[in-house]
Amino acid sequence: MRESLTKRGMKVLGIVLIIYAALVATHEGEFWPFSIYPMFSQAGNPWTRAMVIDVTDTDDELIWQVQEPGNLHGRPVPVRQYGVDQIDYSNFMSKTENWTSDRMDAVLAMFGSHNLANRRWIAAKVHGQMIGRDSVAVEVLPWLLLTEDGVYRNPELPESDYIRRPE
Amino acid sequence: MKKIAAHIGDQLFEPERAQTSGERIFFKLFELFVVAYTIRFMWEWGLYTQLRNVEVVLPLGLANYYNSAWLFDHNLALINAFIVTALLCAAFFRMGPKWLYMLVMVLFHIQYVVRFSQGEIPHSQNLIGMSVFCFAIGAWFFPAKSEIPRFVMGSIIFFIGLGYTAAFFSKLIGTGINWYDGRHLWLWISEKSIDILSREGVYSPNFLQQMALGSTAVASVILLIGWFTELIGFTMWWKKLRPYTTTLLIAMHFGITLTMNIRFDAFVMQLILVGYPWYKLIDRFQLREPLFFKIEYENQHRAE
Repeated sequence: MRESLTKRGMKVLGIVLIIYAALVATHEGEFWPFSIYPMFSQAGNPWTRAMVIDVTDTDDELIWQVQEPGNLHGRPVPVRQYGVDQIDYSNFMSKTENWTSDRMDAVLAMFGSHNLANRRWIAAKVHGQMIGRDSVAVEVLPWLLLTEDGVYRNPELPESDYIRRPE
Repeated sequence: MKKIAAHIGDQLFEPERAQTSGERIFFKLFELFVVAYTIRFMWEWGLYTQLRNVEVVLPLGLANYYNSAWLFDHNLALINAFIVTALLCAAFFRMGPKWLYMLVMVLFHIQYVVRFSQGEIPHSQNLIGMSVFCFAIGAWFFPAKSEIPRFVMGSIIFFIGLGYTAAFFSKLIGTGINWYDGRHLWLWISEKSIDILSREGVYSPNFLQQMALGSTAVASVILLIGWFTELIGFTMWWKKLRPYTTTLLIAMHFGITLTMNIRFDAFVMQLILVGYPWYKLIDRFQLREPLFFKIEYENQHRAE
């Protein structure tokens, strides 16, 4: 009886392992909760994250300028205060390839347009990469202007930056 | 191969060890921990989905085969949370059919792919997910009171060890032997600093981050220690090594929290629970306080 637990247990684990391997192999390493745990597996690559900057009191000619995180033309907006998950927001910004009007409105919906009453925010992409052998360069690229009335693209960027794969 | 499998099986399931009341009590407490976290995740994910999810950015798991966006509205994610809560209560008290945990697993998976359709693939909930899966398999194939604790705990330990060692190889394959180059850590620290700045509105590096950013060697050593710890994750399969490996893994998670501001609360708590033989402590307490356990023992016999 006791012996059979080991035997049957390993048999069941073996079958589960086969299913596990088949599912992660056919789903790019992830079929929750099965995973090959690829986090941080590709080291040294440039990255893109996102942040929100309050530019209500910033001059119009400055809001679209590329900036550094330590020298922003405005105040960083703590997204958690608005119930938004930073990781979700960041991925939404960095992984969206076609910025249709629905996608742009979705950013506004994420924060709630009522939170922008009499304010204007920049939804910015932040890029980081190694420069040379011993330093990391980080730049903040203003991407969308969010106001209570709507969402606007950065006029200084070409259309092709917002629509990667025309339908 | 058969001999190796039998040896690992003996280490994981310990068939020679007699079951004690300490083990039964610990197992029920552990099950409560898993059930409580599952209910918490179901409601957290359901609420977030209902309030925030608008479009599917990244389809995961079963969501590759249907449009998961239809679960964003009409409180469907919350209804799913309610159903799972009810099913878990029944499964915890062993009421209903033995496939209840399997049904919970499917609904839990659906809630995960709906909630995390926004582009990020978090792993901090994977251990709870794997535990529910092991309960599902255990309840179905090893329902006997004497077998289910051994199978569930043994299989969870198996998948934890496998996961860490798989993570080591993912890095080796994804980057190569130079993965531990400290400059890679610089990039991750700068990346996470933006996440913190955006989330909180302020960011300042802590002491360990300053040390890592100040020296490639220090940053490399930090990565190398973490990477090595992942490699030896599978040594958890051996019961004598398990507490030591677990301690190293917990230390590694604290290191990740300090260097990259990523917290693994449920992960670490579960490591603490499965990595050490807590049942021995309960058994020892039972010897010292027999009266306390007499009530438990009598209740159990009455139930049987």
